[in-house]
Amino acid sequence: MGMSNSTAPLIEIRGLTFYRGDRAIFDNVDLDVARGKVTVIMGPSGTGKTTLLRLIGGQLRPDAGTICIDGQEVTTLSRRALYQLRKRMGMLFQSGALLTDITVHENVAFPLREHTKLSESMIRNLVLMKLEAVGLRGARDLMPSELSGGMARRVAMARAIALDPMMIMYDEPFTGQDPISMGVLVSLIRKLNDAMGLTSIVVSHDVAEATAIADHIYLISDGKVVEHGSPEQLKQSASPWVAQFLNGEPDGPVPFHFAAGNYLDDLLTEKRDVK
Amino acid sequence: MLNKVQQLGRSTISSLERLGRGHLFFLQLLTALPTVLLRFPLLTQQLFSIGVLSFLIIFVSGLFVGMVLGLQGYNTLIDFGAEESLGVMVALSLVRELGPVVTALLFAGRAGSALTAEIGLMKATEQLSGMEMMAVDPIKRIVAPRFWAGVISMPLLAAIFSAIGVIGGYIVGVGLLGIDAGAFWSQMQPRVDLGEDILNGVIKSIVFGVVVSWIAVYEGYDATPTSEGVSRATTRTVVHSALAVLGLDFMLTALMFGE
Amino acid sequence: MQKRTLEIWVGLFVVAGMVALFFLSMKVSSLNKFSVDEGYVVEARFENVGGLKVRSPVSVSGVKVGRVDAIRYDMENYEARVTLLIDNKYNAFPEDTSASIFTSGLLGEQYVSLEPGGSDDFLKDGDEIRLVQSAVILEQLIGQFLFSKADE
Repeated sequence: MGMSNSTAPLIEIRGLTFYRGDRAIFDNVDLDVARGKVTVIMGPSGTGKTTLLRLIGGQLRPDAGTICIDGQEVTTLSRRALYQLRKRMGMLFQSGALLTDITVHENVAFPLREHTKLSESMIRNLVLMKLEAVGLRGARDLMPSELSGGMARRVAMARAIALDPMMIMYDEPFTGQDPISMGVLVSLIRKLNDAMGLTSIVVSHDVAEATAIADHIYLISDGKVVEHGSPEQLKQSASPWVAQFLNGEPDGPVPFHFAAGNYLDDLLTEKRDVK
Repeated sequence: MLNKVQQLGRSTISSLERLGRGHLFFLQLLTALPTVLLRFPLLTQQLFSIGVLSFLIIFVSGLFVGMVLGLQGYNTLIDFGAEESLGVMVALSLVRELGPVVTALLFAGRAGSALTAEIGLMKATEQLSGMEMMAVDPIKRIVAPRFWAGVISMPLLAAIFSAIGVIGGYIVGVGLLGIDAGAFWSQMQPRVDLGEDILNGVIKSIVFGVVVSWIAVYEGYDATPTSEGVSRATTRTVVHSALAVLGLDFMLTALMFGE
Repeated sequence: MQKRTLEIWVGLFVVAGMVALFFLSMKVSSLNKFSVDEGYVVEARFENVGGLKVRSPVSVSGVKVGRVDAIRYDMENYEARVTLLIDNKYNAFPEDTSASIFTSGLLGEQYVSLEPGGSDDFLKDGDEIRLVQSAVILEQLIGQFLFSKADE
């Protein structure tokens, strides 16, 4: 879309710095998301991966740095322009974030009703198309409370692509899924990306699934990009930290023990500080 | 010692911040009025769940409060041989005070807490965030219709409460205790003034409607997005609404009837 | 819930609220009976107005014809100056009509009672009623009674 160069990255993040209180969630991070590709952001829990998606979506403002999406600088956009930009973004929340008081059909129709003036029959057809794409056309009259977690995420996917966005962001799509629905989600993310010409950003800490769909992986820890590259490049990384993370080893550069004093000293000391 | 001072300072600053955010939020609610009116079905939906569903409790409470006023008033007035004035007493107590105040308290408990819980849960389940990412403003789409439905419902409910209460007083006074029906009404009518009493009662109920609805939606929107946070916010809605209503009632009464 | 039933319920709710407001203003208040918004003003000076208040009724032969519009103290004559607002419907009171302040019942509120005289000229806007009888003050009455008893 737009006049911008189609080979340039869709999202360019430069020098991104974001503090929560005194803690730096991101410290001078550079990150590119290539058009038409699936980019996976990985890292240990609590590294602010979800925060990154909110920064890209303009729900949070960074303390420093630039986030450029398809030629538009998100951090300085007016509210109106930001809302225009968001119509071209889809986002899938961890919980699915479906509206609980309306049916599956109405959930998928929601963005269409809010942003277009399409006729009722057009909306119905579009909704059925999107639901068919995620394999849930038959569930259109169910309420969100009647769906399993995996189904809810697929409905949320159908809703996220309702307006034919240029990109879609997934927040931890694999967490808490059984192997079958995990497999369904993995193949859906890939298929939707390729069939609709989307650009996908997946935030995850599930190594196997993430490496299976990624074109490019960013590993983030302690507010910095530790390593990035294709899954193969990462596997050959010399960094022991990367190896520990990808193989899920319990001890390594990330220690098993939380920082503590000498064990023996601790055991021998009376509980002086407890009254 | 210095730590205690710092703590005091910090909590003062944070409550002032909260107050400021609350007022900005109020402005957003007010400016959302045109959007709410343009999307009337959203307002209708909320008028149902806020107004219609509160009707029963208001009706029943109004009836009983009126009946109690009739009974108590009769027992007091008969000592002065003035039991004919029962109608005036019941009507003035209801229209000026009990109608708006009791309705607002019941409204905070019935509709206000439900509003806070609903909005808070939508926040906790990321529905509000999700809406923002779909380029839909949750304040205009979710919060403002609920606020305005509360503002519209409250005076109607208060009027229903007062009217039913007067009828309750009539049932007890005339039906049970044998006051003359003509005296009941004729004593009441010249002494209840349309502008002074009834209009002021309506103004009170509108003010309470604004305040209670505002507190309810703000507590929901500002709630910590966890189940514990939502339950706390719900409690706060009821407590703060009750305090605000009673405090404002005193101020409004002093302004309106203080001469 | 069906949209239609929902809308019907909301409609009924609004109607119920309106009916309640109508009931309050028509049946509980005195909108249908009498409300003086337009009328003519006459003044009366009393030595003592007792518990008379603004908005107290003005009546003739027990029928309400107006209300007290203002009560001021007149520093020139050392008297209370009461402005009465009388409905235009009753515009033919003789000029020598007298005004008294009475109490309705032992504990009731005070009101101004007019007693029409015999003159051929009528009271007009801005006129003053000259024949007045002040409020009866219970303490004075008791005092007088005691004095007269003591004299006996």
